[in-house]
Amino acid sequence: MSGEGGPLTATRPAPSAEDAAAAVSRMRDMSADLRGCAVLRSDGEALAASGDPERWQEAAAVLLGAADLAGEGQVDSLHVATEDGEVFAVRHRDLTMVAVSERFALASLMLFDIRTVLRDLAAGRGPAEGRV
Amino acid sequence: MNKPHRVLLERIAGYADEAAAYLRRRRIGRRPFARVYWSGGRSRDYPATTKTGRSLFLAAARLIEVGVERKARGD
Repeated sequence: MSGEGGPLTATRPAPSAEDAAAAVSRMRDMSADLRGCAVLRSDGEALAASGDPERWQEAAAVLLGAADLAGEGQVDSLHVATEDGEVFAVRHRDLTMVAVSERFALASLMLFDIRTVLRDLAAGRGPAEGRV
Repeated sequence: MNKPHRVLLERIAGYADEAAAYLRRRRIGRRPFARVYWSGGRSRDYPATTKTGRSLFLAAARLIEVGVERKARGD
């Protein structure tokens, strides 16, 4: 996943907030179990979120920081399942998506949806172009 | 002998029963977990009793609150 190509370059500019908002909206359309999600840049700033971006940004920073401190380098993705819901985070190039879903959401589907949306966002593809 | 469409319906109902039973077992048997993946396919589970596990569960709980707040507002 993160191994696909290097960081975003001048020829592939970072996605705009509008593109990220469209990605969040697409994610909400795709995943019935989703409660909310946010797209973050590599510096941790929220490009778009389904709620208050600052709150998502703060909470996501703590989660990703805790995971990175596990001691085996920067994490690629993570899944935390609790009694109250499930949390997913996926990194792709310079972008990260953090998502919260209902309990017992199918992890493989959630991760697939997140990866698809992030990959299209990083490649500058719109929803219609990204769909197979 | 059953009519062909009955055979088909029974088979589909059988699959649905199997799927429902699987989901029931999954709900009963599943415990909270925190799983981290690195590039190259490495992954590791962190029980809540470990320092990293505790941090991950606390951070996840905060994120779930953010998601619930959004839902409660009806956005």
